[in-house]
Amino acid sequence: MLLFTLLLAACSGGGSQKEAWKDMSWETIEEEADGTEVRLYMWGGDEGINRYIDEWAAPRLKEAHNITLERVPMDAAEILQKLQTEKQAGKQDGPIDVIWINGENFKNAKENELLAGSFTDKLPAFNEYYDTEDPAFQTDFGTSVEGMEAPWGKVQFVFHYDADRISEPPSSFEELQNWIHDNPGMFTYPRAEDFSGNAFLRHVLYAQAEEPSDIYENPLNEADIQPAADRTWAYLKDIQPDLWRSGNHYPNDLTELDRLYSQGEVLMTMGYNESRAESLVADGVFPESTRSFVLEPGSIGNTHFLSIPFNSSNPPGALAAINFLLSPEAQLAKFKPDYWGENTTISLDQLPEDMKQKFEAVDRGDSVLSTEKLEESFLPESEAAYVEWMKEQWFDEVVQP
Amino acid sequence: MKSFNLKHSLLFLPAVLFMLLPLYGLLTAVLNSFGRHRGWTLDYYRQIFESNRFVTSLVFSLQTALIATLLSILIGIAFTRSFYPILEKMAPRVSVWIPMLFPHFVWGYMVILLLSETGVAAQLLTAAGWIADPQQFPILTRDPDGIGIILTYVWKEVPLVILMLLPVYASIRPEYYALVDTLGGSAWNRITAVELPHLLPVLMETSLIIFSFTLSAYEVPALLGTTFPEMVSVLSYDWFYGSSWQKRPLAFAAMVSISLVLLVLSFIGYGYLNKARWRAMRGSRS
Repeated sequence: MLLFTLLLAACSGGGSQKEAWKDMSWETIEEEADGTEVRLYMWGGDEGINRYIDEWAAPRLKEAHNITLERVPMDAAEILQKLQTEKQAGKQDGPIDVIWINGENFKNAKENELLAGSFTDKLPAFNEYYDTEDPAFQTDFGTSVEGMEAPWGKVQFVFHYDADRISEPPSSFEELQNWIHDNPGMFTYPRAEDFSGNAFLRHVLYAQAEEPSDIYENPLNEADIQPAADRTWAYLKDIQPDLWRSGNHYPNDLTELDRLYSQGEVLMTMGYNESRAESLVADGVFPESTRSFVLEPGSIGNTHFLSIPFNSSNPPGALAAINFLLSPEAQLAKFKPDYWGENTTISLDQLPEDMKQKFEAVDRGDSVLSTEKLEESFLPESEAAYVEWMKEQWFDEVVQP
Repeated sequence: MKSFNLKHSLLFLPAVLFMLLPLYGLLTAVLNSFGRHRGWTLDYYRQIFESNRFVTSLVFSLQTALIATLLSILIGIAFTRSFYPILEKMAPRVSVWIPMLFPHFVWGYMVILLLSETGVAAQLLTAAGWIADPQQFPILTRDPDGIGIILTYVWKEVPLVILMLLPVYASIRPEYYALVDTLGGSAWNRITAVELPHLLPVLMETSLIIFSFTLSAYEVPALLGTTFPEMVSVLSYDWFYGSSWQKRPLAFAAMVSISLVLLVLSFIGYGYLNKARWRAMRGSRS
C-alpha cells in the first residue's frame, strides 16, 4: 500500500513538472537543457543515417549545447507500442525523449495521446528558416500536425535501374507495363505490408485515377475511388505473370528486392528516398551504373518529423536537440551525400546568402535526379487510411487466388 | 500431512514466479481478444474464422509445423539410434549440437544463402554441370509449400531431439536387448519392446516443444515464407503492427486460438502419458 501511495505521489509530482517547458522562454529551455542527456529513438536500418547522428550530430550537439545525444535504434511502430505500454502502466518518466515519426505512426500517436503537445512555435530555427505555412508541414498524410512534430526532412519515391543493362527506362506506368511484358521476370515490387511496396502500389492507384489529386486531395471513400481501384487491380493482375517468379512470390521487404537487384536477378528496384542508391553504390552493393527515374504522372513524396513523447523525462533537452537538428548547419550536413544525402525541409530563400550558396553547391551524386526534375514530379501523400486500405485490398484482389 | 502439502506448494513457487509474466501476457491477450476496451464480444473470433485468409493460413501453419516436427523427430531418432555410442564422446556430441548455438534467424539466413535460386547450392550445381544455369535450381525458399521453413526447422531441431534422446538411449541397459534376443525377438521387437517405452515420454515432450515453437514462431516464416499462404504468426504480426490499431484484437484472437490448440494437445499428451504410467505401475500390458 505504501509502495502504491509512493507510486501515485511520484506520478502526480511528475505530471505538473512535465508541463513546465510550455511556459519557458527559449533561453530558459537552453539553460535547462545544458548538461543533460537526450535519448533519440529512431529507425536504425540505415548505416548512413546512423552515422550522421552518431558521428556528425552528437559530437557537435555536445560541443555547442553540452547535450549528450544517445541514439536508440527501434522501429517507429515498436516505439509507439512501448509508449502505449508505458502510458497504460502510468509511467511518467519514460526513457524516450525524441522520436522520429510520420504518417500513420504520427496519427496513432496523436490519437492515443502519446505526444507531449504543440512545440514547434518554440523552436527558433523552425520559425526563422522554415516556411511554417507550407502544406507539407501542416498535414502529415492527411493528419493535422498542429505543431506536435517538427519537419526534419523530406523524401521522394524513385525507381532505380542499371544504366548498363537498360538504355532507356520507362517514363510512365503504361510504358512500365509494356517493359515488364517485354522483359518477363525482371521486375517485381515488395508486398503491400512493406512500406516501399505499399508506396509503389499507391503510385499505381494515382496513375489509374482520372487525376492524382482525386486521391491525395480526398479522404478515403471506397465508393468514389472504385473505378480507379478496379483499373489498379487490372493493371497489377496484368503485369503479375511477367513479374519475377511469375508473381507467385513478392519480396517480403525492400531489402529482399535490393538483394535481387544487386544480384542482377531483377533489373529495377525502388525506394522512398531519391538519393538512397548513392551509399549503396559506394558500398559496392549496387552497380556503379545505377541511376534513378520517376514515372508519369509523378512521384510521391513526404515529410518526416521529430516529436517528443508525452512522458519524456527531459523536454527542454529534447527541444534543444530538435532545434539543433533543424538548424541550417545540421540540415546542410544531412543534405550532403557523405552521410545521409537527404533532401532538406529548410526554405532556401529564408537562408543567409552564404548558407544558401553552400546548399546549392552540394553535388548529390550521379544516381540522384536533378532538384528540378524531382520538384516538377512531386506528388503529395494521400491520407494514411489509403495505406491500410491498400494492404487489405491488394491481398484480396491480387494475391489470394 | 499438512506440512507435506505445504512443502509441495513451496516447491511450486519458483515455477509460479517464473510463469507470472507469460501468464499475465496470456491473460491480457485473452481479454483483448474478447474486446476488453470496446465491450465484450466474440466478434473477433467470428471475423477470423470467417476470413479465408486466416483459415488458409491456419491450415498451412498446422501442416508445416506437423511436417517439421515429424521429420525432426524421425531423423533425430534415426541419428541417435545409429550413432549414440559415438555421440557418447565429447567431440562428436558437441559438433552435432553446433546448430543449436545459432539463433533461428541466423539459421534462416543461412538457408537462404545456401538454397535460394542464386544461392551457394545453385552456383555449385551449375559449376559442376548438373544444371545448365542457376535459374533451373528448384525454388526451395519462400515457396508456397513451406519447404524452406520446414528445412530450416528440421535442421535446427534435430540436434534438440538428439539432445533430449541421448540420455535416454545411454540409460537403456543392454540386458533388455539381451532379453529380447533370448526370447527370440527380432530387431523390430527391440525397438517396440525396449526402446519405445523408454523414449515415449521424452518423445511426446520434445514433439510438443517443437510443434509449439514451429507453429507460433515468427522470424523464420517471415524470412523464408512467401506472400501466400502465410504462417499464422506472420499474419498476426501484420495485424498487430499494422498501421491502424483496429486489427490488434484480431491478432490476439488468432494467437489465443493457437494457444488453445497447443493447450489441448498438451493435455492429450499428458493424459496419455499418465495413463501409460498408470498401466506400467499396475503391471498390466495391453
